[in-house]
Amino acid sequence: MTGHTGTGIGASLPRLEDLPLLLGKGKYFADLKRPGQLHVFFFRSIHAHAKIKSIDTRQAEELPGVVAVVTGEMIKDELLPLPQPSVTADLPGRKPTFWPLAVNKVIFHGEPVVAVVAEDPYVAEDALELIDVDYEPLPYVGDMEAALDPASPIVHEGWDSNQIFHIDFHSDRSESEHKDYVKRVAELIETAPHVIKQRYRVHRCGVTPMEPRGVLAEWDDTDGLMVWITSQRPHVDRYVFADVMSLPVSKVRVVAPVDQGGGFGVKAAIYREPMLITYLARKLGRPVRWLETREENLMTVGQERDQIHDLELAADENGKIIAARDMGMADAGDGCAGMYWGYNMPLVGAARFPNAFDIPFCEVQMRVAVTNKAVLSPARGLGIYPTRFALDRAIDMMARKIGMEPSDLRRKNLITELPAKLSTGITYDSGDFRKTYDRLIELADLPAFRKEQEAARKEGRYIGFGIGVGAEPSGVHSRRYIVNTGTPAYAATDVRIDHRGGVTVYYGDAPHGQSHKTVIAQIVSTELGVPPEHVTVIHGDTQSTPYSTGTVAARGASLVMSSVAVACRDLRKKMIRVFAHDHKADPDYSDYEFADGQVRHKRSDNLRSGFAELAYRIIVNSIDLPPGETGSLEQKAVFENDFGMVAFSAHGAFVEVCAKTGRVKILKYITSDDAGTVLNPQILVGQIEGGVIQGISNFLFEEYVYDENGQQLSSSLANYKIASAADVPAIDVYHDAGTYCPNTPLGARAMGEGCIGAVPGALGNAISDALQPFGVEIVETPVTPAKILRMIRG
Amino acid sequence: MKRDVTITINGVEYSGNIPIRMLLVDFIRDVAGLTGTHVGCTFEGQCGACTIHLNGEAVKSCLLLAVQCHGKEITTVEGLAREGALHVLQEEFHRHHALQCGYCTSGMLMNAAEFITERPDADDEEIRHALVGNICRCTGYTNIIKAISAAAKRNASV
Repeated sequence: MTGHTGTGIGASLPRLEDLPLLLGKGKYFADLKRPGQLHVFFFRSIHAHAKIKSIDTRQAEELPGVVAVVTGEMIKDELLPLPQPSVTADLPGRKPTFWPLAVNKVIFHGEPVVAVVAEDPYVAEDALELIDVDYEPLPYVGDMEAALDPASPIVHEGWDSNQIFHIDFHSDRSESEHKDYVKRVAELIETAPHVIKQRYRVHRCGVTPMEPRGVLAEWDDTDGLMVWITSQRPHVDRYVFADVMSLPVSKVRVVAPVDQGGGFGVKAAIYREPMLITYLARKLGRPVRWLETREENLMTVGQERDQIHDLELAADENGKIIAARDMGMADAGDGCAGMYWGYNMPLVGAARFPNAFDIPFCEVQMRVAVTNKAVLSPARGLGIYPTRFALDRAIDMMARKIGMEPSDLRRKNLITELPAKLSTGITYDSGDFRKTYDRLIELADLPAFRKEQEAARKEGRYIGFGIGVGAEPSGVHSRRYIVNTGTPAYAATDVRIDHRGGVTVYYGDAPHGQSHKTVIAQIVSTELGVPPEHVTVIHGDTQSTPYSTGTVAARGASLVMSSVAVACRDLRKKMIRVFAHDHKADPDYSDYEFADGQVRHKRSDNLRSGFAELAYRIIVNSIDLPPGETGSLEQKAVFENDFGMVAFSAHGAFVEVCAKTGRVKILKYITSDDAGTVLNPQILVGQIEGGVIQGISNFLFEEYVYDENGQQLSSSLANYKIASAADVPAIDVYHDAGTYCPNTPLGARAMGEGCIGAVPGALGNAISDALQPFGVEIVETPVTPAKILRMIRG
Repeated sequence: MKRDVTITINGVEYSGNIPIRMLLVDFIRDVAGLTGTHVGCTFEGQCGACTIHLNGEAVKSCLLLAVQCHGKEITTVEGLAREGALHVLQEEFHRHHALQCGYCTSGMLMNAAEFITERPDADDEEIRHALVGNICRCTGYTNIIKAISAAAKRNASV
């Protein structure tokens, strides 16, 4: 599906973003300074759960350079808490009320309790040492299953239980139809010739970006609130700040810096600290800045996954899946994050549980508990990582039970008819899962590997192969997204041509490594025939860009790029109409092409104009236009698709496990992906390589650890181990078995979010395959050498 | 407690009366105003984004105090390109799409710049091991390895 060479769609155009970043001239949050800015440091709870008996800040206040010291009690009447309407999903779950600083009690180790504002960041940090908080420890609620027991201590005051969310997916089944459906699932599982019944667990880990969070806010009595923030959703932030500070939205401007050091979902939720910084800026009348430390980052945001799945999978004699029941459970932490509330992730994971498989009867439920941990917050592969692990592992276990090659059983059960609707109500628009899957099988050369594996085992070497698949979202659609997050899914871009033929594209999301600038320039280049370097992209500033929900959920290649194409096509039509009018020619759109900086009639050589000249004619010389036509070449386009679009991937991992040390070495890792029309192959491959390595790092290395008292033991990168270059392999990425997406104007599918989804299945299956001589089946992550040794020794 | 400190960065002298506890990375970013050097961990030497050259040697500027560098010469990422010409690593990072968000890139470049002069013949596995002090969260490393390998070869042939 790769297009032409050159600079337009389909070309591996080197990125337009690169030069300033390579020269050290990026404009990241931490590089911003405002005259007279103050610095904030947070005093955070040392307890996981405790009553605040008293807070003594007198000594801190007296430290020279300290401007203000504030507590939850001091702000709670001056600032509205969350939830507020702008970030309130319409889900059947609870939303805890919370302020930026703890009020009455603390509910996780690391919760902000006091904020110190000082002239100098070093002084602010010093002042933390002078604060004395007297706590009365309360029992720690740290196990999701125990938290759901009616006898458990309660995390949120006033709640009757710790259950924050429960869903029993009905799709469009009525209550009575669903009752029958569930009964049928039970019967099928009871009578099936083959059943796998297993608990699968994926630990707490995530995709923490290299750049921590930051907020800088400034108040002006006339203009209102100005906020710079590391964010994937500046427009949503704007609504939230207006809500909690009771301001008109027009008095709030939010800017996500031009360069952001990664996000991966972490910067998409609404957290405590930014609300306080905006409040302090107004209260103190000076710019106020907070730059998160890595320690704070690891203790408060980016903690995802953390799900348990009790899965029953039933198949007939031939390995055709006939039914499944997945009872999921997740740990939301304290649930205090706007938009996601700690349960949006497990909800999405459960909703997408059936993955790429045709499961005729599939019951799915998800229960989510609040605990005394940091809130579960978004990470790439939102919610799906645990469910992919569970089902892909169960499929291999089923194949072994029946005596089939796992890759054959998996293939047999792939969805072959699209569009499709899952038992949970999720829809897939298009694609050819088998074609993409078969390409992986071809690349893997399994018969040769099985021979090699047999020979290796005789030498005491344990190598294995495993596959994981993912039918992942290519963008989202409003019908579902509004319910899940309280925001619409559409992408809105504003394409403006200037009188010299330059093109500026404005859009309201906030990319942070996705290469949107380059890909947008390529699309404009193809659609309008101008060189990519004539295209400027403005994003992340709520003052100049149209509202949209943010850089999340694979909305780039699916929705944002589509809206750019649609806007360009509208502008083309207007230019053709005016050109045809001026030349008394027939304005048949299909007769004209835009290329090489020209607008020309395909069959009449003398009917042509420079793109810039025609732009000048319409924008400046805006007289004698065709009847009904106006001057100006600025077009806003809104794009969405009212049906779930999907991007399918199949991953194959070859591993060697050392039976003496338990170490896993990935020998080779192949992906076959359906990206539809590939907009820029180099960028696509970069996204997939990065996503896969994050998935591997989650699986083998990363873990947020809480001890028996809820103390976080992973607050440094020394303890929260992220894969280094020497820990991981190169990834062989193939996208030649893709299929054109009929629901986007360019035929593209978005891979950025979901490319991580197939990883846990591929790795879990490969390691289990390698360890078959020991009868080991991996059912829990992370898979560390110590755990492997324990399993080998039985 | 404060002290007068002068450090030469990319050939320019920067002086300040600074707290003795000021980290070198803060001197570079806040006193010299060179913000290409980044901070990705809590000054614990784990992420490598703040890597610079101190008297020609790649070091992490969050693990040094500015006062320790009084009178010394430093090169930061801003000093890598010379007379308007990109360093061979900058060119190869661009060609191989070896950066996405760009946050770790400065440190990667500075670490690699020292490495390729010392080990122009390094294979991919050796380059991977040379990068264990620098975390990249976006790229998955492969393109960084390709870029460094290509730059090393070009450098060696000059």
